[in-house]
Amino acid sequence: MNSAAIHAEGLRKAYAGRGLGHGELELFAGLSFTVAQGEMVAIVGQSGAGKSSLLHLLAALDKPTAGEVWVGGIRLGGLSNRQAAEFRNRDVGYVWQFHYLMPEFTAVENVAMPLLSRGLPRGEALAKAQQWLGEVGLGDRSLHRSGELSGGEQQRVSLARALVTEPKVLLADEPTGDLDGKTAEAVFGLIRSLHQAHGLTSVLVTHNAEFAGRCDRVMTLRDRMLV
Amino acid sequence: MKFELFIAARYLRAKRRQAVIGVITAISVAGVAAGVASLVIALAITNGMRRDLQERLLGSTAHVLLMRQAGDGMRGDWRALLARLGSLPHVTAAAPGLYEQVLVSRGARSGGALIKGIIPADEKRVSDILQSVKDGSAEELEPVQTLPCSGVLDTGRDCSDGSQVVAIPPIVIGKDLADSLGAAVGDTVLVTSPQGDLTPLGLVPRYQRCHIVGIFATGFYQYDSSYAFMRLEDAQKLFSEPDLVSVMSFKVDDLYKADVIGREIEKAAGAGFQATNWMEQNRELFRALKLEQIVTFIVLALIVCVAALNILIALTMMVMEKTKDIAVMMSFGVTQAQVRRVFLLQGLMISVIGTAIGLVVGYAASWAGGHYRFIQLDPSVYSIDYLPFAPRLLDALIVSAVSLGVSALATLYPSGSAANVLPAEALRYE
Repeated sequence: MNSAAIHAEGLRKAYAGRGLGHGELELFAGLSFTVAQGEMVAIVGQSGAGKSSLLHLLAALDKPTAGEVWVGGIRLGGLSNRQAAEFRNRDVGYVWQFHYLMPEFTAVENVAMPLLSRGLPRGEALAKAQQWLGEVGLGDRSLHRSGELSGGEQQRVSLARALVTEPKVLLADEPTGDLDGKTAEAVFGLIRSLHQAHGLTSVLVTHNAEFAGRCDRVMTLRDRMLV
Repeated sequence: MKFELFIAARYLRAKRRQAVIGVITAISVAGVAAGVASLVIALAITNGMRRDLQERLLGSTAHVLLMRQAGDGMRGDWRALLARLGSLPHVTAAAPGLYEQVLVSRGARSGGALIKGIIPADEKRVSDILQSVKDGSAEELEPVQTLPCSGVLDTGRDCSDGSQVVAIPPIVIGKDLADSLGAAVGDTVLVTSPQGDLTPLGLVPRYQRCHIVGIFATGFYQYDSSYAFMRLEDAQKLFSEPDLVSVMSFKVDDLYKADVIGREIEKAAGAGFQATNWMEQNRELFRALKLEQIVTFIVLALIVCVAALNILIALTMMVMEKTKDIAVMMSFGVTQAQVRRVFLLQGLMISVIGTAIGLVVGYAASWAGGHYRFIQLDPSVYSIDYLPFAPRLLDALIVSAVSLGVSALATLYPSGSAANVLPAEALRYE
């Protein structure tokens, strides 16, 4: 494995019983690519092309049917469930299209969750979460629950939660897909600035051609191949 | 564990999107509380009844009884043996006794009875039965009095010549026996022993007129309907056995070790003796009480099982509602074991809250029941005028363990389901 932040080799993902006539549904096959450290890559493609599934593989949320993925030098195929959880907690931050904040908790508690889950003392975790809320411009909304925040604010809290553990890699699955144009622009701008400020390696799945164009590189998933 | 507790506690407190989950959770807590309270109260009552029965039983019987294996009684130097056994460790009192079956009659009425010849001072130290004399007094069983004659006796005999006469032997009989004879204190009854004298005309039963000086009521039909007490020397005279005792009764310092101490007494007495104790004599009764307690426990534990079923339903619904939260938690590194513990803790919290409420309610009700005696009973039926409550710490521990254990079992399926959520699948179609 070279110094690339992300490296995929011969990736294939197929779902048994989900294809036409309930045969195998193959999303992609033989995908090999590399994302360099500090690079910001956009993955685009039609709905159902397998963009989100590819991102799941990079986050060790799912296992490929064939092939291997290395993230930060870690071979994901060799991880046990527990090691995969630890990898997700320490090495990657994941942002979904929907914010998925837990409504029972305040913004700062939501952001602190990844730190609390690894056993960090509550005070320390909340202090760090508060600092990250400040980074995304919501330092004064820390005690608000998700229902009291706008869509853009919710997604910013979600971004703070993904980055509070200070991972090297940020994976974002259509992070602006649920937002209106102006808010989407603000959130994308925030992701870009955080990417630069923290030296992240970022992979974004997006349908927005303009945002994709502002990334360092665009990879298109088409006909089960990356082009 | 702090993280899991933090999530579980907040999930439990939060308002649910599906109100029905909150309702089922509340029903689960109430169900566990009702089950635990019912168990505590029921066990307190059965313990109370058992304790009351045991106290009354022990008041009526000695802790350990020693007799000859051959049933031929002890003659001769039984006093020395009694003194020696009475000084053994853990033995606090000893008394001799002579048992014989007799017929007690008054006019046309008669009834079988078991006469026990006693030395009142000794008997009072091993048994409380003479303290349960309701009519008259057992004091008159004290040693034989020789009365000076002062004229014509009520029997018509003239003793004005200065001769002395022995008073009619006193007897204390049970209330039910007295009722069946229609006798009261002051009446005279005829005690007939089948151990008669052999004459040319055949076996002639021995008989003795006795003066009823007291009537006891222990609350045990077995005793009240067939027991009677005479002075030992009167009984020996009646049975033509001037120096015989058939049994020695002992009181010990730890009644629950009566079997062990009984064996020591038996050993010290030597060959040919056998000891029995209050537990052996009433084994069937206590076994029946224990069985009743176990059945009561099982029946009422079903309430806890139903409540546990509610916990299972509430948690299963909560897992379904929280599937996406679980997936997101897993996406930021929460392990399967942590997810499992979140829902295990949630179930256990429901159970702990319910159990705590149940214990408080159960013990408060038991205390109030025992203190204020608000459940009245008919003493002629139950020999006690109120329902006794005797809550025990051990029962609280057992009930709590059962409640928490059953609830923990109920959490296994939903917590396992939660841990098996596949994040990629759960969030794929959002």
